[in-house]
Amino acid sequence: MSAPVVVSDVTKVFNTGRPDAVTALSQVDLTVAAGEFVSLIGPSGCGKSTLLRLVADLTAPTSGTVTVDGLPAPQARAEHRYGIAFQQAGLFGWRTVRRNVELPMQLRRMPSADRRARAEELLDLVGLADFAGHYPAQLSGGMQQRVAIARALAVQPPLLLMDEPFGALDEMTRERLQDELLRLCADTTVIFVTHSITEAVYLSDRVVVMSPRPGRITAEIPVSLGVRHEVTRQSDTFFEYVTKVRRALRGAPVADAP
Amino acid sequence: MSRVGAVAAPVVVGVAGLAAWEAVVTLGRVAPFVLPAPSVIGEQFWTSREVIWRTALASGANALVGLVIGSVFAVLAALVASRFPPVHRLWTPILAVLNALPIIAVAPLLNNAYESTSSLPRRLVVALVVFFPVFLNTLRGLTEVDPTHLELMRAYAATGTQVSRFLRFPGAVGYLCVGLRQASALSVIAAVVSEYFGGLQDGLGSRITSAAANTAYPRAWAFVLGACALGLLFYLVTLLIERLATPWQRRHAA
Repeated sequence: MSAPVVVSDVTKVFNTGRPDAVTALSQVDLTVAAGEFVSLIGPSGCGKSTLLRLVADLTAPTSGTVTVDGLPAPQARAEHRYGIAFQQAGLFGWRTVRRNVELPMQLRRMPSADRRARAEELLDLVGLADFAGHYPAQLSGGMQQRVAIARALAVQPPLLLMDEPFGALDEMTRERLQDELLRLCADTTVIFVTHSITEAVYLSDRVVVMSPRPGRITAEIPVSLGVRHEVTRQSDTFFEYVTKVRRALRGAPVADAP
Repeated sequence: MSRVGAVAAPVVVGVAGLAAWEAVVTLGRVAPFVLPAPSVIGEQFWTSREVIWRTALASGANALVGLVIGSVFAVLAALVASRFPPVHRLWTPILAVLNALPIIAVAPLLNNAYESTSSLPRRLVVALVVFFPVFLNTLRGLTEVDPTHLELMRAYAATGTQVSRFLRFPGAVGYLCVGLRQASALSVIAAVVSEYFGGLQDGLGSRITSAAANTAYPRAWAFVLGACALGLLFYLVTLLIERLATPWQRRHAA
């Protein structure tokens, strides 16, 4: 189950009509196919998080349109067409791990037995079945982020939006969670914001490179590395893609695919 | 520090303090109206135990009723203030100023406003004193919400009621408990001190003033000791309530 996302001719200006007006995004077009994994990468201030928030309808575009699964973004949000995870795990400290995962299901008024079963199934998938009864403060950062991912997937959304979810984690935990994420959302459309070139290349079917002032898309690099595993990270093709993305970030023209 | 150390250290310091107090008073020939020896106070406490128990029950009841009334109003007021921002802007500065005033000063006025057989004025004083810490803490808990949590609730298309029920209310419980803990100690102080200014004389405060007026200083101190014990009991009970109401806060170390 997955949903396409279409962003067309979107401009976002903060503080419109004031002297401190900032153009965060300028005439951005982006189409993400159903089931595709797309990373947004770029320096701070390039509008990659703003673009994600527009798709999530957490902020409205100044002009242009955003559709998710064929629906306007506000309607898609109202109908729970996406799950979301941020850099902060954002778990509710007063709820146990299991009840945190249950939250989105509870908001959709799912019967308690069903949501309990689903939460346990998800916690099993992210390897935290033994921690269902713990409180978030008792978990490490990586474990908390796993719970956040389980929570984002709880209602089986056709689209997953992730804003630097592994940004605060150490490299080892990060790589392990990347593999877990690919396993969990194989059939889901994913838009993933990151600062890390290797992370973008490893995870994505396509890396979208953005540049600031005003935020716009400067390059789109399709990545075909096949099924990812440990060897992928050391392969020459992987490094070629990494170089390519790095060049694009520096503003050099993108060479042909390797 | 080990658990034993954590308990033993303050006990040792306390016992040493009492011993030093006893030594200073006996060896230094300190006049009993300045400071009686702890042994004398203890003796008085034992001989007056029945009166202390009875008066402590009266003061304790006043403190408890006032604490409950004041807290209920404070929580309701905090809910209204957090729900309606204009109310928040109007009330909160006024209440913060009122909080800085010595509320206990209204005790003689309230005592005179009601019959001398009524416990109500003292309970009202307690309720007033308790109101502010509970109100301000609860309001803080209700309004200071993690932006990521709010964002998440918005992403889930949660309704206003759901945001209150699943995010604001449970998030405020910890703050409410802190307010209650502060209020519980204040409630006993207010209940005892308000008796210094007339009204019905059945509590610890009236016994302290009358013993002091009769130059029965050790007896006055014995009642002060009773008031301390009552305050400690209130504090410990609210601490227990806090632990039960916020299990996530103590499991850090587990």
